[in-house]
Amino acid sequence: MVKFYECTKPMIIDWISQEYIPHLTASFTDPQKRVSIGYLFAAFIIAIIWITVAKKQTFRRGFVLGLKKMIGLSIIWSKSSRADYKLLLINKALLILLSPFLVARLTVATAIFFYLKEIFPYGSGIFADSPIWIASVTYTVFLFLFDDFSRFAVHLGLHKIPILWAFHKTHHSAETLTPFTVFRAHPVESVIFSLRGTIVQSVAVSLFIFVFGTSIELLTIYGTSILLFAFNATGANLRHSHVPISYGKIEKFFMSPAQHQLHHSSAKQHHDKNFGVALSIWDNWAKTLHFSHGEMGLSFGVKSELYQNNHSLFSLYLRPFQEVIKYPKINSETKPREENVVFKKII
Amino acid sequence: MTKKLLAGAIALAGTALVLPACADPDIYGTFPVTVKGYSGSKTNSVAYTGQIARHVLHDSLKKLAGKGNGKPNPALKAEMMSYFAQKTPGRTIIAPTSKKKFVIKQTGVDQISKKKNLAGKTYKGNISGMPNNMTGPQLISFWIDKASSAKKGVDMANGYNYPQLISKFILGAVFYNQAVDNYLDEKMTAKKKPNNKPYKKGAYYTGKEHSWDEAFGYFGTPAHGLSLTPKQLYNIAKRKPGAEKYADKNGDGKIDLYKEYTFGPAYYAAGADKTGKTSYGKTITQAFLDGRKVIANADGKKLTKAQLAKLQGLAKTIETNWEKTIAEAVFKYAGSCYKDLAAIKSGNKKTLKKYIKHWGELKGFSLALQAGRKNLGEVGAKLNRLIGFGPVMPNQSQVNDIDSKGNYVKGSGSIDNYMGHMLKTQKLMIDAFGIKARMKDQTKGMDAMLKKLGSGSSAEND
Repeated sequence: MVKFYECTKPMIIDWISQEYIPHLTASFTDPQKRVSIGYLFAAFIIAIIWITVAKKQTFRRGFVLGLKKMIGLSIIWSKSSRADYKLLLINKALLILLSPFLVARLTVATAIFFYLKEIFPYGSGIFADSPIWIASVTYTVFLFLFDDFSRFAVHLGLHKIPILWAFHKTHHSAETLTPFTVFRAHPVESVIFSLRGTIVQSVAVSLFIFVFGTSIELLTIYGTSILLFAFNATGANLRHSHVPISYGKIEKFFMSPAQHQLHHSSAKQHHDKNFGVALSIWDNWAKTLHFSHGEMGLSFGVKSELYQNNHSLFSLYLRPFQEVIKYPKINSETKPREENVVFKKII
Repeated sequence: MTKKLLAGAIALAGTALVLPACADPDIYGTFPVTVKGYSGSKTNSVAYTGQIARHVLHDSLKKLAGKGNGKPNPALKAEMMSYFAQKTPGRTIIAPTSKKKFVIKQTGVDQISKKKNLAGKTYKGNISGMPNNMTGPQLISFWIDKASSAKKGVDMANGYNYPQLISKFILGAVFYNQAVDNYLDEKMTAKKKPNNKPYKKGAYYTGKEHSWDEAFGYFGTPAHGLSLTPKQLYNIAKRKPGAEKYADKNGDGKIDLYKEYTFGPAYYAAGADKTGKTSYGKTITQAFLDGRKVIANADGKKLTKAQLAKLQGLAKTIETNWEKTIAEAVFKYAGSCYKDLAAIKSGNKKTLKKYIKHWGELKGFSLALQAGRKNLGEVGAKLNRLIGFGPVMPNQSQVNDIDSKGNYVKGSGSIDNYMGHMLKTQKLMIDAFGIKARMKDQTKGMDAMLKKLGSGSSAEND
């Protein structure tokens, strides 16, 4: 008789070696991922140059300060950061297991394509005669803008809708920021963002095939959209860091690392500001834009006894469910970022 | 000791003598005669000559259908009808014929089987995908009439390529229908054609043996098909240079149409399998072979319930995979029509002939798909609605009826809408039949674009 472990052990090992490890390593090698090693290195260089130039330091001093702010032990091995790494490892596994149950992009794209054919029978291929380069440029720009806007919109929803805020608090409970804080998200939030990605990509692809009548080449560098590459290569990882690079007046158009750090600030006046990712034009339009200013001396995290210095996996994964189940009728008048007595009663 | 050595030597010699006579387990070639009481000289119970004769009649009819000169031609029509509906002796094989080193053994239909026709085995139900509720034989006769007076069998005004329409429809209405709706269906039940009786009085094969063989013959794969790759099977049907080397299994320098040639259904299965995404041909051939072994192992006795269930399961496998090969062809030609229409829209007038040919293949296969055992119901209705009775022509006209005198009645159609119909036809084939090869996939670009985007950072937020 075959013993249970004889069957299951190899399966688990196969899964880890063939699914989990490749997915995990791809996070650091795939140029489509923000924490890809090249982007991390670029962010590190930018941080050192910025500290040296903006703070009028010698290069040696700038280098040391940069090291301290980026990979100082108090930052990368803080209780908060250690929780980020755990979430990265666990969420990766959860998302791989969940992925077969998430709706396929091709299914959505095909459905949208046929819907477009149905409602605009004469719109099919209306730009079919356009030069290929125009199609590629338009597609690349549209995809970047649509993707960025969708991230802003979903992020706004995560803050403004109390039930969603309960889950998004997992991300905002980070008290030290490192590039890996991007992975500090509740799986519910990750699923929401995955669906967002599915919708954005499906709409963009089906719409462009519909109007141009053929498949279109995305403008890429190393297999990544040229615009996404530019964003990631110019210090996107510093958004989650303690290096407050500010863009000055152009923060009205582009979201600086300092602006996103301000978004993570636990100070009340910074709550619900700067939801954007690459562009800040959406925040400007929604009147949620907040400029950064010099050394802001920010402290990060959620100002609540429940979250402060509480980075246990139990808390990060299960507390949102407790909040939603026990207190479904959260007073909609309450600003979600203001932790109130309702939440304090839970534990 | 000497006796033991002698016995050993005899045993070895016996084995050596018997071994060459053993049938290759991967060839649908030799199975013993199991009919009880048979006293004739036959030693192989496999026989499907009638089916191969019909494949030859079909190929020849298709060739003839393209010989019109654009004027009414009663002689040509009569000749075509002799291959379709008559059992005239002495008919020559018009196709397939020898081509350079690809020398075909038979030159006359009677060399394979006598007194065979196609009409008698054509699906008798009403064909709802064409006007006037014609039966299968009536529709083919109607097309034969039209083909005989069309230049090279093509009606450029209305968009009909008769050789393609006739051929592709027959692939379903005769071969697919006879195999899955007759031999693998009711004849695989306990009551019909039992295995403990000869197929007919005096026959050297049992009821089940011959029924199974006949279904195999309609698939049209070489007897040694399992040892060939999809590309080789495909090349044999195309009589490509070098194909004779692997087609000629017995090495007599000639290709025996009965057991060494690839005909229509197996050719289209190979076409899909060449993509590497499917293995319809291998699955079907293996199922036929497995089924034949089950019957042979019954040794002329009545099949047990378990044996019947096994056969019925294999029959189901054959039917499902065969159906998919036809659905793949519908998918492929819908994609071709879409591409042709896009070219026509951009002013390429040379594409029209190709479009009409592709449409003929599409329509023929779509009707073939509906000639199986099952009523496709809503899927069939949708398919007929999407493809229509004729192609939408560059002047935005489309045949929408046939009057009582057999003349086409035309209405208006939109090329844009029709292109949408072609895409929907492809989607319908995926949704209804789960096809995988998907040749000429017009939404493939979409898949490639999505793959290029990757999952990226779509699940990550700030």
